[in-house]
Amino acid sequence: MNNSGTTIFDSWHPFVPLAFFASVIVLSMAVFQPVFIAISFIGALASSIAIRGWKTTVKSLRWQLPLIVLIVLFNPLFSSLGSTVLFTVGPFTMYAESLVYGICMGVMLVSMLLWFVTASSVLSSSKVMALFGKRIPVLSLMMSMIARLTPLYVRRGREISTVDSACTASGRKKASVVAQAAKRSTVLMSWSMEDSLETSDAMRARGFGASHTRTSYARYRFRLRDGIVSVVLLVLVVCCAFLAWTAASQYRFYPTMPMLRIWWGYIPYIVLVLIPTFLSIKEGIRWMR
Amino acid sequence: MDALTFDNFGFTYPKMPHSVLDHIGWHIPEGSFALLGGATGIGKTTLLRCAHPILAPSGTMAGHIKVFGEDIASPDQKWDAHRCAQTIAYVSQSPETQIVCDTVWHELAFGLENLGIPQEAIRRRVAEIAHFFGIESWFHRTTDELSGGQKQLLNLASVLVMQPRILVLDEPTAQLDPVASKNFLHALFRINRELGIVVVVATHEPYEMRAYATDEYVLQPSGIERVEIHRQVDSQFAPVAYASTNPHVHPLTGHSTAHPDASSFSTDRSNLTEEHADSSASASPLSATSSSKTNTLSCKNVWFRYDRSLPWVLKGFDLSIEQGTCHAIVGGNGCGKSTLLQLFAGTLKSERGHVCNAAHDCQAFLPQNPKTLFLSDTVSEELHAWQKDAGYSDDDVEQWMQRLAIQDIKDQHPYDTSGGQQQKIALAKLLLTQPSLLLLDEPTKGLDAPTRRQLAQVLTTCRNNGMTIVLATHDLAFAELIATQVTMVFDGEATATEPPATFFADSIFFRPSAAEREALNGCK
Repeated sequence: MNNSGTTIFDSWHPFVPLAFFASVIVLSMAVFQPVFIAISFIGALASSIAIRGWKTTVKSLRWQLPLIVLIVLFNPLFSSLGSTVLFTVGPFTMYAESLVYGICMGVMLVSMLLWFVTASSVLSSSKVMALFGKRIPVLSLMMSMIARLTPLYVRRGREISTVDSACTASGRKKASVVAQAAKRSTVLMSWSMEDSLETSDAMRARGFGASHTRTSYARYRFRLRDGIVSVVLLVLVVCCAFLAWTAASQYRFYPTMPMLRIWWGYIPYIVLVLIPTFLSIKEGIRWMR
Repeated sequence: MDALTFDNFGFTYPKMPHSVLDHIGWHIPEGSFALLGGATGIGKTTLLRCAHPILAPSGTMAGHIKVFGEDIASPDQKWDAHRCAQTIAYVSQSPETQIVCDTVWHELAFGLENLGIPQEAIRRRVAEIAHFFGIESWFHRTTDELSGGQKQLLNLASVLVMQPRILVLDEPTAQLDPVASKNFLHALFRINRELGIVVVVATHEPYEMRAYATDEYVLQPSGIERVEIHRQVDSQFAPVAYASTNPHVHPLTGHSTAHPDASSFSTDRSNLTEEHADSSASASPLSATSSSKTNTLSCKNVWFRYDRSLPWVLKGFDLSIEQGTCHAIVGGNGCGKSTLLQLFAGTLKSERGHVCNAAHDCQAFLPQNPKTLFLSDTVSEELHAWQKDAGYSDDDVEQWMQRLAIQDIKDQHPYDTSGGQQQKIALAKLLLTQPSLLLLDEPTKGLDAPTRRQLAQVLTTCRNNGMTIVLATHDLAFAELIATQVTMVFDGEATATEPPATFFADSIFFRPSAAEREALNGCK
């Protein structure tokens, strides 16, 4: 679905997706109420499909679903609380409340993970930098340099181990994994230190540290449209937060769970978490012809 | 007015008894494209760095350097980073180490950000420079995924975005393959002619650059000398001159470049080629006469790709390499030469097909970057590193140091030696283990003609002693000189495998240029 590296948020200033994902993540973390958790999970799944595509989402679910099961199984072991006994195995008693609590916890964790992965595929490092670069240019440069050096060192590390294992004529007995790793990292370290001298020359020659105020080349402009959307988003989030607080404060798991009813107050949250899906469907219809 | 003037200039590194440079008088006029030649280690880099107020090495300077008539050392002239960046720019050899940021656009903007240029102005200049170099199509890429040629072009663009008037480059194409290097030179040419920027290039391979240059100079121990630009090889510092008179003595330093027992191996071109003819004659009718020889390496219908989602690198590759031959693998950039070497070495596994390596337990691999092999503090320690496990003697080490002429630097840190010396140290380290199979990945990258010739001698001696050598290379002249068989890789297959004489005679485009050939081989 998304091999080109474009996302539905591209035409917005990075602040908009940042605000969206930040609020959704905070809300799904803070509100521990079954319906809100379910909505958040469905929204996260739908957004992940809309932004990262079917294949990637299903692939990540392959390990995320077992994670839910694991948490569901473990929670009752540690918190044997509740009033509705389901069954008893040896010293463990399984209560319905405890089971539901575990399910909620597992689902919440996975939806958080999904939101985070989706957010990171929308907010590339350059977008994050554009957001913070103006305030803290040094930080944004540092992030850029780290993003530059990490793949370089990984590649070099691979090269070093390739050569090391290819030179069989040196007759070394199979060294221990630790000794080998230590040797290889020594090579990598001295190589990288040596190169960093050249890099620092290249930086100085291009005026690094010359001026007190570093500017930052931002590729994104904050337009009126971004402003309006941000305000609307903010209103929606505040609305959701209030409703979620109301719902969560009336809900408890132990000792007994109250009945859940159909309530209009869930609607704003449903709208909020499905925004990426709406946008994606809208885009899909536009390009269908 | 002269753009750059060295006035009776001299330079001495701290704690060194002798000066590196002395009595340099060099005037580079405005608008020129100047080449600076000279033997390895003669001080080209030092000279050029001295002209850059920020990069100038610490040491004692004599005389004056003037940039557009202004002395760069005079105290009343303030050479701050701002002014410096907008006057003189410097690009060095390694494409990799000069890149600071993770994306192309950020790299281009980096210098301007440093100077605190307002955002709108940065946008404008970055756009212009990206357009000039045709960077638009990879403007959003990450710098790590670029090819070597693109990296070096990016380094050039990101210093030019600061609008310097002089551009100084130190061996800018040494790490590039022939196509990328042509491309880079063309960019330099446009900068010089279209933008009027003064270009000064230090190089030991001036052959390709002469077509673009306006002036050529040679740095010699006695000073700078201007030479006429010939399209043909210049007898001044090409190895031609000494190869014809005394093959073992370097023309500039007078040092002996050959190992003591080299007498058995002639450096004369005619003998080398004769010997070629012999070996290729015996090897060429593969099916008939070579039945007595055994294959060190063979692969049949080998398929390889790095990931399921990536295209095939090798598609049904067949090749067999006899023991005691030197097999050169040539082909365009990214055709899979390095991949093939790693498959031979067994560090990569083929997805389909088999690679049989009879020397699997006694092989050595020389990577593109010799630094991959270094882990000691001195050259001598480096060469002794595998002594215990591989079981060679101290005498062997001495002998190889002499053969490769690295005994003078044995107490230095490997990193403090020149690129050519590093390559020789790495090779010595590998040859000490007496491998029966030697795999070389671009062994001549960034080396000058005398060093390449020396490598050719050493490797040919090794092959005569029964070692099988496989090299992946862009250096066709080198391949022609040492290989007994040449294979061209194209579209994942071995397109042609022939002895070098036939191979290059049949090639229309894929052959060393006359100048390269002469530089490496000596006089005809």
